Amino acid sequence: MSRKITIDPVTRVEGHGRVTIHLDDYGQVKESFFHIVEFRGFERFIQGHPYWEAPVFVQRLCGICPVSHHLAAAKAIDQIAGIDPKDLSPTAQKLRRLMHYGQVFQSHALHYFYLASPDLLFGLDAPADKRNIIAVANEHRDLAIKGITMRRFGQEIIKAVAGKRIHGILAVPGGVHKTITEAERDYFLDGTNIENIDTMITWTKEVIDFMKSYHEKNKKMLDEFAYFPSGHLGMVNDKGELDLYDGKLRAKDHEGNIILNDIPADLYQDYFSEAVANWSYMKFPYLKTIGRDKGWNRVGPIARLNICDSLSTPLAEKERQFYFDFYGNKMNNSTMYSHWARLIEMLHCAETLKMLLHDPDLLTGELVRHGTPRNKGIGIIEAPRGTLTHHYEVDDKGMITHCNLIVSTTHNNDAMNEAVKWVAQHVISRQGSITDSMLNQVEVAIRAYDPCLSCATQALGSMSLVVELYNHQEILIDVRTKN
Amino acid sequence: MENKINITIDGVPILANEGANLINVAKENGIFIPSLCYFDHIEPPLGTCRVCTCKINGKYQPACTERVTEGMVIEINTGELNDLRKALVEMMFAEGNHICPACEKSGNCDLQHMGYELGIASVRFPHLFKDRIIDYKPRRMILEHNRCIKCMRCVMDIKTKDGRKVFTYQDRGNNTYVGIDYEQEAILTEEEIINAMNICTTGAIIVRGKNVTMPFGQRKYDTNSVQQHYNEKKRMPNTSQVMEKKIVATCSLAGCFGCHMSMLDIDTDLLDMVELISFDKSPITDIKKFTHRCHIGIIEGGCCNDENIETLRLFRENCDILVALGECAIWGGVPSMRNTIPLSECLEEAYLNSVTNEPGNTVVPYHEDLPKILNRVYACNEIVKIDYFIPGCPPDGNHIWKAIKNLLWNEAFNVLYSEFKYD
Repeated sequence: MSRKITIDPVTRVEGHGRVTIHLDDYGQVKESFFHIVEFRGFERFIQGHPYWEAPVFVQRLCGICPVSHHLAAAKAIDQIAGIDPKDLSPTAQKLRRLMHYGQVFQSHALHYFYLASPDLLFGLDAPADKRNIIAVANEHRDLAIKGITMRRFGQEIIKAVAGKRIHGILAVPGGVHKTITEAERDYFLDGTNIENIDTMITWTKEVIDFMKSYHEKNKKMLDEFAYFPSGHLGMVNDKGELDLYDGKLRAKDHEGNIILNDIPADLYQDYFSEAVANWSYMKFPYLKTIGRDKGWNRVGPIARLNICDSLSTPLAEKERQFYFDFYGNKMNNSTMYSHWARLIEMLHCAETLKMLLHDPDLLTGELVRHGTPRNKGIGIIEAPRGTLTHHYEVDDKGMITHCNLIVSTTHNNDAMNEAVKWVAQHVISRQGSITDSMLNQVEVAIRAYDPCLSCATQALGSMSLVVELYNHQEILIDVRTKN
Repeated sequence: MENKINITIDGVPILANEGANLINVAKENGIFIPSLCYFDHIEPPLGTCRVCTCKINGKYQPACTERVTEGMVIEINTGELNDLRKALVEMMFAEGNHICPACEKSGNCDLQHMGYELGIASVRFPHLFKDRIIDYKPRRMILEHNRCIKCMRCVMDIKTKDGRKVFTYQDRGNNTYVGIDYEQEAILTEEEIINAMNICTTGAIIVRGKNVTMPFGQRKYDTNSVQQHYNEKKRMPNTSQVMEKKIVATCSLAGCFGCHMSMLDIDTDLLDMVELISFDKSPITDIKKFTHRCHIGIIEGGCCNDENIETLRLFRENCDILVALGECAIWGGVPSMRNTIPLSECLEEAYLNSVTNEPGNTVVPYHEDLPKILNRVYACNEIVKIDYFIPGCPPDGNHIWKAIKNLLWNEAFNVLYSEFKYD
């Protein structure tokens, strides 16, 4: 008898989603969907508001990466105030970078330690009551403390520049509204109150070493699990190095051929289009030149390491090279490498933070610059989860008339569906009974993309995992939620 | 030499100057009368907001319009009067669209400040979500009618050099709004413009290019209460010392996960917390259905689709105490900004009109596996009974855990003024 499996809610991800897998009479997977069940409508209700409010309230899209939304919106409204991202004062640029790299550091730490580590430490078939940070805290206390401390470091950086750990404010049109004091900076360097930046670098390297040995032990599984070819999208600077705050968009296909060649951010709509499916509130962006079927791209850590030529910091670059050699010096299309890639990015962030913290421009300098107002601003930034686009249009009085947001996780929509399909076909198809471990593997595949579904739905809707089993007449015959 | 007279405030005899303003007399004697529209140099005082209502010689009167006379008996700090004042301020929050997390006046706003001083965590009246305009026509400012409480400060105080009014009341009754004379606005000096913004009790008058200039912590109402004994007043009694292990469930409805993140922001103290509590259904565990009855359920986010409502009801059924965490859960928050807009327009904007949409696309998501979106965003306490509210966007991590410890083990706690915020 054919069945539909539903996983609802998908847990240990940020947001609300549901998976349905349809099986035929023989228990073979017919189709599978990863539904995003939330919709909030920011693009509409921001209209009519003054543009300078955008960075303040658009960050309420997401409580995990509010900084990315704050800064992407800020980069867009800089242009409306007549200042291009590269024309900001050095102080403003560096403070924003400090905030952004601090945020990527904390967000990656959150994902790795709080959300993903139970799968890595206890295995994919561990019982449900074990698969959480509390079990990690009980059994691997040192690791839990390190994870919490690393996240705190990033959060404290954000607090120092934005006043609050979550939903703080730093950017104003054309710059920033404060610098940091010497005492605030030394807090991160001298190690008297909290573990300092050097400790962060050391600890990140330790976790990377753990990850390397994990990959050596499980290479075959990690190579194969949820492997599928796709394009990869990210941002690079003029030297081809990965840049998370500002740069040009680059995409490569699954073999490494360049399919989007370093285009400036403000041309994004010439290249990208978004498809709508009736079964998800999240849209499906793709490259127009390639088309809907093959033109979609993965974003986030795997994609970014795939498309950049190098990382600008030495330790992280060394790790990137090792990671590349390990995979055979080719484009990485294996979902499970995202955790390792995420850690390499963390190291890159920590090194960048260290460099920035030693920069005297953080303490003093010109805060805001003014230019000739414009009617359009497009801000693109590499958020922790991938390429994030904010596009605002305003009238001559400064009222927002149009807003378009392409949130990082949206780019991964096809990728996550592809990952679910892989698990459905390789793990669930033609099995007599559906086990908890099988369902967790579906979630593991989704979780690797660190989806932030609260952003992705721009706030009308919700993510969780239910597997529903439907027969060939599409009648619901069984619902399996996890446990 | 002023004539000294005797009055009684809350049973305490006080010597005061005859004819002095009651608010000022109270202030000189260390007694706080909450007041909103009252502004020292506007004479005569406006008396529009009624927040300073006291019982004077047995009658309810606003303190700001009252001059003290010999033998006057005044009641200020009674349960009934405090509740009345709270209700008045709550009405203002319910009547306008006061979205602190999205407002550039946040932190410098007198209305918000009154909410903090009076400890208003949630509003007892339904929010009206009226669709009001933002007036962009003035040359150097914008008028945000969503935030205007019609306190009359700008109408009475902002004048040009030759004494002409710039603001005026227009229309009547319920429909009253503050209009602006664009020509007079154009001749105000820079200083007068800034003064207009500062004198506004809310964020209704905003000067272009002067926004969010003050960082967190440096804004007018960020750190200290004007009441000396604010913290003692908010102190909860300690009745039990036994810390039994408790079960907690959490969920995020139409929220952004910021409140959940704030719960994690007590950092390593979290490790001590998990010794005392275990999590049942929660996005940070893999428990998707209730496995135990829970002592406390923590809800982030309001309800924007039918599934949110089901989940919320499920939490009510399975939890002894239900806590609304953060602005979205308490009254809808930023997502409720769509409440003044038809849902169809929101969907059309996202799926049909966006610049990157495929030309000619007619698909708007609609599927048996997708929850149905509600006509507007509902607050949690519009759907089920909520037992406790923790405001903030997101609430302060310390505030959250202090409140939870109090609710679970009756542990004594102080809500610090600096931890009680709406943004």
